[in-house]
Amino acid sequence: MSGPSADRPWTFYVLGALFGAWLLFLYGPMVVIYVLSFQGPNGGVTFPMVGTSLTWFRDIIRPGQMANIPVAFGRSIGLAALVSALTVVISVAAGLGFRRRFPGSGVLFYLAVASLVMPSLLVGFGIGLGFQVLGLHPGLFTSALGAQLTWTLPFGLFTMFAVVSRFNRSYEEAANDLGATAFQRLIHVTLPILLPGIIGIAMGAFTLSYDEYARTTLTIGARNTLPLEIYALISSATSPTLFAIGTLTTTVSFLLIGVTLVVVFRMQRRRAAVVVKG
Amino acid sequence: MTFLTKPLPRLRAGEVEAQSAEGEDDRVGTQQGDGACRPDHPHPPLRGDFSRAQRGRGFQPWLVSWLQVGPLALILCVLFAAPTVLFLVVSFFDYDRVGIYPAFIMDNYRDLLTTPATLRVYISSLKFAVIVWAITLFLGFNIAWFLIFHIRNSITRTILFLLCAIPFWTSGIIRTIAWIPFLGRNGAFNQILLDLHITSKPLTFLLFSDFAVIITYVHLFTLLMVGPIANSLSKIDPALLEAARDAGASRFRTMVDVVIPLSKTGIVLGSILVFTQVMGDYFVVKTMSGGQSASIVSMLSTQIQAMEYPPASANAMVLVGFVAIMVAGMMFVVDVRKELVK
Amino acid sequence: MDVRFDVELVAVTKRYGSTVAVDAVSLRIPHASYCCLLGPSGCGKTSTLRMIAGHEAVSDGDILINGANVTLAPPIRRGTAMMFQSYALFPHLNCLDNVAFSLKMRGVAKAERHKRARGFLALVHMETFAERLPSQLSGGQQQRVALARALITQPRVLLLDEPLSALDPFLRIKVREELKRLQRELAITFIHVTHSQDEAMAMADMMVVMEDGQIRQAGPPREVFEQPASAFVARFIGGHNVLSGARGPIAVRADRCRLGVPNDGPHVSGRVAAVEYQGGMVRVALAMESGDEISALVPDATFYGAPVEPGDPATFVWSEHDTHLLASA
Repeated sequence: MSGPSADRPWTFYVLGALFGAWLLFLYGPMVVIYVLSFQGPNGGVTFPMVGTSLTWFRDIIRPGQMANIPVAFGRSIGLAALVSALTVVISVAAGLGFRRRFPGSGVLFYLAVASLVMPSLLVGFGIGLGFQVLGLHPGLFTSALGAQLTWTLPFGLFTMFAVVSRFNRSYEEAANDLGATAFQRLIHVTLPILLPGIIGIAMGAFTLSYDEYARTTLTIGARNTLPLEIYALISSATSPTLFAIGTLTTTVSFLLIGVTLVVVFRMQRRRAAVVVKG
Repeated sequence: MTFLTKPLPRLRAGEVEAQSAEGEDDRVGTQQGDGACRPDHPHPPLRGDFSRAQRGRGFQPWLVSWLQVGPLALILCVLFAAPTVLFLVVSFFDYDRVGIYPAFIMDNYRDLLTTPATLRVYISSLKFAVIVWAITLFLGFNIAWFLIFHIRNSITRTILFLLCAIPFWTSGIIRTIAWIPFLGRNGAFNQILLDLHITSKPLTFLLFSDFAVIITYVHLFTLLMVGPIANSLSKIDPALLEAARDAGASRFRTMVDVVIPLSKTGIVLGSILVFTQVMGDYFVVKTMSGGQSASIVSMLSTQIQAMEYPPASANAMVLVGFVAIMVAGMMFVVDVRKELVK
Repeated sequence: MDVRFDVELVAVTKRYGSTVAVDAVSLRIPHASYCCLLGPSGCGKTSTLRMIAGHEAVSDGDILINGANVTLAPPIRRGTAMMFQSYALFPHLNCLDNVAFSLKMRGVAKAERHKRARGFLALVHMETFAERLPSQLSGGQQQRVALARALITQPRVLLLDEPLSALDPFLRIKVREELKRLQRELAITFIHVTHSQDEAMAMADMMVVMEDGQIRQAGPPREVFEQPASAFVARFIGGHNVLSGARGPIAVRADRCRLGVPNDGPHVSGRVAAVEYQGGMVRVALAMESGDEISALVPDATFYGAPVEPGDPATFVWSEHDTHLLASA
C-alpha cells in the first residue's frame, strides 16, 4: 500500500511506531527477567537489585530443595525429544492423509481444532481424572507426554496443511512416471521435498514441550501426583531462581531455533522456487 | 549427435512398406457427420494383460488415508475426546464427602448455574475475555498489517517476526511473575514515572488489580492474534489493494471492504485462541489480581483438590461447552478447513 | 494386434462426477509420428494425454500402446514417459540425479546410472550442468533436463504437456525445431498438447483438433488447414472465413480472398472495418451487411498498390475453386 513514488505512506510511520511501542511493551518484562536473574544473594523477586551475582544460576545447578536439577533438565530434553519425534511421525502421516477427502475427515479436523483450542489445564485435568477412574497411577512422564501431545499434534497437523498446500503434486506424478513404487516415492521424493517443513514441526514441538516441561519439573521436582500443572503453579518458588531458569530456558530455545533456522534457510535457498504451480 | 547406447526398437523393413501401401487404412477412423471420430475396427484386445492385482494399487484411497491419519485419530480420541466424555459422564454423578456415585442427576449443573458466586466468576472471566480480545485484536491486526504490507524485505520481516516470537519461548508463568517487579509500588515503571516527574507519587492501581490482569493477558496472548492474522494477510494478493486504490477507495475503506473480509479466517482463529486461553486461565488471575478476582479454572482446582469430581466435571463441561460453541460459531463464519488446507 | 500404430484410443471416456471431460474418443497414431492434440481450454486434450500416460484413470474405453492393452497399467509399464508442463524436476536433486532417478528406482548401481545419465544430458546439451540444482537453471534449461529424464526410460511414446507455453516467443521457435529434430532422430512417437494452432501446424505429422471432449478432425496439418471438417475447426485453425453459401456453410481461406469488384464469381461486399499491418501481409477486415466480419490477407505490395481505409466500401472476391464446403456448421 504505497504511493506512486517509493516513499513510505504516513501509515507506515504510525504503524511502525505502534509496532515499536509494542516491542518495548513485550520486552520490558523480559528484560526484567534477564536482569533479575543476576540478582544479588540477598535480593528478592522485585527491585531494587541488591548487588549482582550468579547465585541463582548456581542454585539451579546445585541439587538442593529443588530436587535434582541437572537430572530434571535431562528429563526435560528427553521428554521434548520424544514429543517431537512422535509429533513429527504422527502429524506428517496425518497431513499426507488429509490430502484426500475421506469419510470422517471433517470430524477429525474439528476434533484437532478443538484439541488445539481447549485450555491445557482442562486437558490435564481430564487426563488425570481418566487415570484416577481407571485406577492407574500416572507418571509425570506419561501424563505430561499425553497433555503435551494434545497440543503439539494439532499444531503439527496445521503446519503440515500449510506445507502440503505448497507442494506440487506433479513431483509425485513424475516419480510414478519414472517407475517409483509408492514406498520409493515417499522416501525419495515426497519426504525430502517436505523436509524443511518437517524440521519446522520437529523444532516447534520440541521447544513447546521443553519450555513447558522444564518449568514444571524444575519447580516441583519428581512428584507423581496430578494434576501436576496445578501443583506446579501453586508451589512455584518465588525466588529469583525462577528468573534464572527462565533466562536459561530462553537461551537454550533461542540457540535451538537459531540453528534450525539457519539449516532450513540454507536448504530452502538451494532449492528455491523452481516450483511453478502446474 | 551421439546419444543412445542402444537403439530404440524400430519397425522391421517389411512393415514400413506395408504401412505405406495400405494408404486409406491409415485413417484414424471415419469422419462422422457431426464431425466426431468414431472407431471402425473390431473390439480391441481384452484388458487381461494388466489385471487389477498387477496394477499394484490394491488399496482404496480412503483406506490409505485412514491408515495415515489413524495414529492421530487414536491419540486425539484417547487423550482428548475420551476425557471430555468422561467429564460429561461424571458431571451427572452424585457425590458426598466419601466418594462419588454413578448416577444421573442434574444437581451439579443446577448448583453451578444458580450459585451467585459461580456466576460472578464466569461473568468476570467473560469480562476479561472480551476486553482482552478487543485489545489484542486491535494490536494484533495492526502489527500483522505492518509486518505483511509495510515490510518489503522478507528477511527483515522474518527477523521482526522472530523478535515477536522470542518472548513466547519463555514460560508464561515466568513472564507473568516478571510483571510484578515492573508494576509494583517500588517497581521499575513507577521509578521511571517518578524520575521523569510525570507523577509525584507511585501509582497503586498498576498491580494487583484488573488493570494488571489485563495488561498481562495482552502481553501473553497478542501473538496468538498476530500469527493467524498475518498468515491470512499474506495470502492476499497485493494487487487487490492497488486495484481498490485505483477505484478510488480510501485506506480505511480498503481495509474494511477488502482486507478484513479476506482475513476473516485469521481473525476468527486468533479470536478463538485468545478467548479460550483467557477463559481457561488460572495463574494470571491468581497472581495479578491479588485475590480480588477468581478464575473458572481456580474454582475447578479447588473442587478437584477436595476430590469433588462431579461438580468439577460439571464446571469443566460448561467450559467445554463454551469452547464447542465457539468452534461451531467459527464454522458459520468461515470454512476453516478449506482455508487452512488451501 | 495392430502394431502399425503406436497408440490407439478406443472410445476412451473420462468423467469427473457428472461432467464428461473426454467423450468416447477414438484415435490411432501411427508409429514414430509427431502428433499434436490441439484445442481450446477445457476441450479434454490434457485429460486425454494424462490418460495415455496413466496419471488419470480411464472411465470407459481402452488404450493400446504398441498393440498391448494398457488401460489398467501403471505409468511405468506402458512404455510412455511424460514431460510435465511445470517440468517437475525434483528440487532436492541435482540434474544428474534427476535424470538418473528412474534408473535408481530400478536398482541400477550408482556408477552405471550416473554414466548413462551423463549420456542423456549430453544428448540435450546439458552435460556441463550435471551438478547444478534445478533452481539454478533457466526455464529452457530445466526443460531440457526434464526431457533427458524422460528419455532415459527409453519410451516408445513421449508425452509433452504444453511444453512451449512457459517459454518466451523467441525461445519457443528454437525449441520447436529442436523437439521436431529430436523426434525424427529418436524415431519414436511424440504426443504434444497445445492450444496454439501455429505450433501444432508447424510441428505435427498428425494434428488432432478437439472440442468439448470430442475429436473434431484428425489428420496431417495440410489436410486440416485446406479441408476443415467443420466451422469450429475452420475458425479455430485461423486464417479462414466461415460463410453461409448456397449449399450450406462454407470456408474460404483468408489469404485466398482479394480486394476486387463484384463479378460472377463468389464475392462479398461490405465496409472496411479495420486494416492491420502484419509485415509481409495486410489483414483487411470487412463488415458485412449481416454485421459479421470476415478477413482477407493481402500481400503488402498488392495492398499498398491500391490501399483502402476503414469505412471505405469494399468487396472481397475469391475463386470458386477456393470455396470449401463444410460438413457442419
